Amino acid sequence: MTHEPYDTQAASYALGALDGEERTEFERHLAGGCAVCEAALRASAETLAAMVRSGPPMVPPPEAKEALLRRIATTTPPQRAAAPPRTLVWAVGMLVAMIAAAAFTGAFVAARYEGRLGQMAREAAALRERVQRDEAALRQQIALYRSVVDLLRDPQTRIVTLHGLGANSQATGRIIWHPVNGGHVLVANLPSAPAGKAYELWTIADAAPQPVGVFQVDASGRGTHRIPPLEGGKPVKVFAVTLEPEDGVPEPTGPMVLASK
Amino acid sequence: MATSGAELVRQMAAGDREAFALFYDRYAPVVFPLILRIVRERADASDVLQEVFWEAWRTADAYDPTRGSPEAWMVTRARTRAIDRIRSTRRRSEMFVAPLDEAIAATLEQPAPDAAERAENRGTIRSALDRLPGAQREVIELAYYAGLTQTEIAERLKQPLGTVKTRIRLALERLRDVGRTSP
Repeated sequence: MTHEPYDTQAASYALGALDGEERTEFERHLAGGCAVCEAALRASAETLAAMVRSGPPMVPPPEAKEALLRRIATTTPPQRAAAPPRTLVWAVGMLVAMIAAAAFTGAFVAARYEGRLGQMAREAAALRERVQRDEAALRQQIALYRSVVDLLRDPQTRIVTLHGLGANSQATGRIIWHPVNGGHVLVANLPSAPAGKAYELWTIADAAPQPVGVFQVDASGRGTHRIPPLEGGKPVKVFAVTLEPEDGVPEPTGPMVLASK
Repeated sequence: MATSGAELVRQMAAGDREAFALFYDRYAPVVFPLILRIVRERADASDVLQEVFWEAWRTADAYDPTRGSPEAWMVTRARTRAIDRIRSTRRRSEMFVAPLDEAIAATLEQPAPDAAERAENRGTIRSALDRLPGAQREVIELAYYAGLTQTEIAERLKQPLGTVKTRIRLALERLRDVGRTSP
């Protein structure tokens, strides 16, 4: 039985010269599993290697070896299983392992990878949640900065300085205040309010102090709070901050920690 | 007794760097002239050589001694990478036909019979390729060292494709016989 045209194609293929449809045809033939062609290709590879070796050897530039040794020294040696012994023991062991593997692989893979997939899904969800939280916080901050910048652009906006009082003499604050649009209070160097307490801001126009919101300070002693505009746009004479129960109270009850003037 | 090449590859697969150094010392002087002959520039040849040995280190565990000698493993890889290199260079300078022709001409000139004879006179070993008849040597040169396909060789030599195919096959058979009879 003739094996043509594959013998001729195998020769060209071994030299890397087979092209076009013949190459596709030959590769399909090879993929089908042809022992004759595989043997021919191996023999050709050895023949070509012998041809190459038959020429005079040439020592490559020493830098090439140095560079390679440096490169493999700085990489972790590839993690590989120890090479299998080439004996019957290996074959038997392999068979046993295969049978065992067939029995356990399904359950093992499922258990191991479901666990890992579950963990990865949880991590991804946590990450997504964090990103969303961070994004919301950033949006809030940007909105605050925009509003402050808009206020500063307005010629009617005033900056009122707050001074620390009593034990909080190191505390400082500023109020950016617009008579129609309200404003912001920004404080620094205030200690965190004790549990159940918060700072409350008051405006004093002509009569009793008006509560304009409660706020907390962060670990670095800083806090920011948006102040809504006052009804009727009455001019504010004094701003003050007191320490109050965290839900806020209608009239000041605690010690005053910051005040304008 | 020197460790066999296959044993060195097995040790490399286990991460043995000393085995790699020995492996390099043994095979680099074999494949370097091959790479240099294909890519022609010493700096390029050094690059390709490093690429080839780096791959050998990385894929040592895939080497199967029943499928071929370590030498054939390395020579095949070196030839493929060197041809990849010149093909990409040719693609970059596609419009310049002349340099390509010059490169091929240079490839063909190198093992000219008189050069082989000179080498013989100097007492160096005459390579197996030099022992082939001119027409057979030419197709091996064009395919193996210049990276041309059989269709390109037929065009270049102005020969029918069938003739080129036959010549390639005969050349390989002859090379095999030369290998068997050489010392």
